Amino acid sequence: MASLSTTSLSFKAPSIQSTTTRIYQVLRKASSFQSISFGRFQSSKRLRLQISCAAKPETVQKVSDIVKEQLALSADTALTAESKFSALGADSLDTVEIVMALEEKFDISVEETDAQNITTIQEAADLIEDLVQKKPAACSIVELEKVMFYQRCISSLV
Amino acid sequence: MRISVMSQMQRSFSIDLPSLIPLQLPSRRYTHLWYVIPDEVKSTSLLKRYSQLLSQTEKDGVDQMRGDELKKNALLARTLVRTTVARYQTNKAFDPRSLMFKKNVYGKPEVDWQNCNNQPLHFNISHTDSLIACGVTVHAPVGIDVEDKERKIKHDVLAFAKRFYSADEVNFLATIRDPEAQRKEFIKLWTLKEAYVKALGKGFSAAPFNTFTIQSIPGTEEGYSLCKTSEVTADPLEETKKCNGEWKFALLELADSHYAAVCIEDDQANEGAPMRVIVRKTIPFVEDQLISERIFL
Repeated sequence: MASLSTTSLSFKAPSIQSTTTRIYQVLRKASSFQSISFGRFQSSKRLRLQISCAAKPETVQKVSDIVKEQLALSADTALTAESKFSALGADSLDTVEIVMALEEKFDISVEETDAQNITTIQEAADLIEDLVQKKPAACSIVELEKVMFYQRCISSLV
Repeated sequence: MRISVMSQMQRSFSIDLPSLIPLQLPSRRYTHLWYVIPDEVKSTSLLKRYSQLLSQTEKDGVDQMRGDELKKNALLARTLVRTTVARYQTNKAFDPRSLMFKKNVYGKPEVDWQNCNNQPLHFNISHTDSLIACGVTVHAPVGIDVEDKERKIKHDVLAFAKRFYSADEVNFLATIRDPEAQRKEFIKLWTLKEAYVKALGKGFSAAPFNTFTIQSIPGTEEGYSLCKTSEVTADPLEETKKCNGEWKFALLELADSHYAAVCIEDDQANEGAPMRVIVRKTIPFVEDQLISERIFL
């Protein structure tokens, strides 16, 4: 469960935009909240928070499972986010098959040129998160509660 | 004391590399296709000699591979490239260790000739678990791809093709009833398409698989031609196809176990002339075996 750190906030921001930008920066430095990552903060008249619902470690794990299956690796092969497909013996046909499996698993559509450029598990996970984020959010209740919590924090500081 | 003796031994061991038998450069329109079967290279002392040929970067690349078999194959691939390219140099005592490699701006591996410009030699390599191949040409970029004939894909062949191949290729595959024959044609197409993209040398974004069709030339047994579809327009019926003879293809079988596709850019001077492929099996420093010489129209 995320919590705001005790860093003191002192600022002289006259406008809401810069206030909330500073809060965004403080929150990022605060204790890790892995299940929500704020998307690019767009400076606009209205506050907008983008929510990503895919937790990075989870995504990496799912990608690893698919890679293991495609490359017929033993279940106890140690894979990390940095594991390179080529170092595991994947050729371009394997990479494309892995991408197809990821598309099915995450219900996304990967551009062909992106498909060929994925070389590590992390890159695949990042691409998936990027594509999932762009989809209309299908967030869980827990995630929504967290969003509302942060919105209250921000509005109370203004 | 012991350390210096060891390094002395290492030095004399490395000087002791047998010399490579030099080769004549291929003529224009010829591709020399060399291949190694990893299972046939068992001697640990030979593999040690091979590892001495590699640059530090290449050694690091081999070390990165997970598992002994993958490491061995990575070592053999670099050895095949270094020794093969070295053998074509006119200087008979050319040391394969002195070759430098670089990648072009799109990531295609090339020889770094280090200020000796206008070198005519081009190469490209491809490998599977059980075969490593290197193609060599002069004056024309070359791309090769090898694939195990028995390679099974995890997805349905047509579903895969619909996702990645061109519409004409999907139609072609759809007409093949027997699933095994369909899978084989799918694999052949994969090797041909990969060989083209590798010959082009501009990365996959320059030639997405669904923007070009490779099809057999009617009336020939193994001739293939390339047709590029134009920019995708709103109306698919408006797509025009440009089929030209700029790129030549050859599809062969190696060691009864693999399909190998070779693609070269047609030299202006030789427009329309047939392509020839000379296939040799090799174990670097040990033996060469001429396998075949074939003409592809």
